[in-house]
Amino acid sequence: MNSSACISLTEVTKVFKTGLLKTKTAVDNLNLEVPAGEVVGLLGPNGSGKSTTMKMILGFLKPTLGEILICGESSNNISARAYIGYLPENPRFQKFLTGKEILIYYGKLLGLQGTHLKNRIELLFELVNLKHAAFERVQGYSKGMTQRLAIAQSLLNQPALLIFDEPMSGLDPLGRIEMRNLISTIHAENPKTTIFFSSHVLEDVETLCKSVALLQKGKLKTYTSIESLISSDQQKYDIVIKNLSPSLELELFGKNTSKSVATGKSFSIEGPERLSWVISQLLKTPAQIIGITGQRRQLEEALFKASEVFTKTEMPA
Amino acid sequence: MKQALHISWIAVRELIYERVFHLLFSFIGLALILSILLGQLTYGEQTKLTIDFMLGSAHIAMILFSIFMGISLFQRELQMGSISMLLSKPVSRTSFLAGKYLGQILVQLGVMLAITGIIILSLLRFEGVQYIPILQALLLMFFESCIVTAITYFFSVNSGSITTALSSFVMFVIGHYSFSSSHSKSLSSKPGTEIILSLVPNLEIFNLKTFASYGVTTSNLEIILSMSYALICIVMFLVAAALTFHRKDILT
Repeated sequence: MNSSACISLTEVTKVFKTGLLKTKTAVDNLNLEVPAGEVVGLLGPNGSGKSTTMKMILGFLKPTLGEILICGESSNNISARAYIGYLPENPRFQKFLTGKEILIYYGKLLGLQGTHLKNRIELLFELVNLKHAAFERVQGYSKGMTQRLAIAQSLLNQPALLIFDEPMSGLDPLGRIEMRNLISTIHAENPKTTIFFSSHVLEDVETLCKSVALLQKGKLKTYTSIESLISSDQQKYDIVIKNLSPSLELELFGKNTSKSVATGKSFSIEGPERLSWVISQLLKTPAQIIGITGQRRQLEEALFKASEVFTKTEMPA
Repeated sequence: MKQALHISWIAVRELIYERVFHLLFSFIGLALILSILLGQLTYGEQTKLTIDFMLGSAHIAMILFSIFMGISLFQRELQMGSISMLLSKPVSRTSFLAGKYLGQILVQLGVMLAITGIIILSLLRFEGVQYIPILQALLLMFFESCIVTAITYFFSVNSGSITTALSSFVMFVIGHYSFSSSHSKSLSSKPGTEIILSLVPNLEIFNLKTFASYGVTTSNLEIILSMSYALICIVMFLVAAALTFHRKDILT
């Protein structure tokens, strides 16, 4: 095991009994080492073993085979959980308690007390922007507020490892942006904290993570840095042009490649070199370039390719 | 231990907030009022019948309370998934179980004291009532409800809500029926019943309702022995529940 690894899974297998004589292997011989201070996204389709892996790390499920270490301690030990802060997919709290009472309760379970706990709670309410609702009962909280309160409880003990299970699940677009910013802030303020999270929203993974682990049918398909995954794919751009003559359009882009937009015509260009050439040609004509935007990286595509290309586990640099 | 106490305090608050708690508490009140009214309808032995009805109502109410509140407090937390945040902290599953149980027992004690108060107040208008046997019956009733709660927790760890409710109730019925003097002889002669009966706690020893209605005091030694037996049963069921819970995969 790497001494700087925050999470280390060695040949971990989880088999569930699904009937009298039937079994299902949810996780199959999984080897994974997540270095300290890294933000890692766990991706995979439904039933790929993401949740099972997370639950084994948290000690909710016991691996059938293999070993899981959290900061060097076996996940079977209760003391290993002192390193962890956990945000479940659908956090549920005792609805009769106020936000502050919830944090006091969880803080006490973590062994925090007195002024230290009080100060920590105040700090966290400010961080998650819930100070105004600290004395409100949780039953009146919106989904986004509940999610932020759950993040606050996960940070109470300043954990070395944060495990977020689908943190953006069920949030509206604004809530998702807020959550994304919050996770970025947490990482910026606690650069030594490892953040390990699962998500179906690839855009979130792309924005937040340094590395990504892809699971497929319980097996690790790839574990690599986002950078290397994306650089292997070609960047695409959208360019909007006004006053473009039909002959030049045909010369530069070919037939029927444009999309009409309010401000002109939009074209898709592949690669920075071709973009430069198109711009240089356009500058020689009366055509006006209204805007150029880089298309969002097709992480989905890249991952899809990666799942086929990678045959062995590759650790990020 | 500290963690279990924190969990128990929240459990107490959770139970008091529960709608099921309010329903059961209303049921207890209604049952006790009906007992007084039914007692008044009789011509002879009005005191005896009132005590009989009241203790009978209290007994049913406490058992229902033990089973349904146990399911609500323990089973629902497992099903809802709120347990995951709690167990992601350095809290042992045994502390969680012990905390929940302790919280429920504290609420049950409060309910039992309220029932005792209501019964004593409503019996004040009768003359010659023997209060000691009534208090003894209520005390053992409380201990019996603690056993039923432990049984409910044991089943909660192993099965769903409906199975837990049914299994706990069946255990309660067998615990009374098979050990009552009228049935024990006929049952013990049947093959295999001895093994089954050895797994079921004898709840009939906590039944002092008849003695209370006739004003017969039970000896202190017998009361202490019954309480000790209850404690052994509680520990056994809770240890079995804790062992199973420790090995259980939490999927929520």
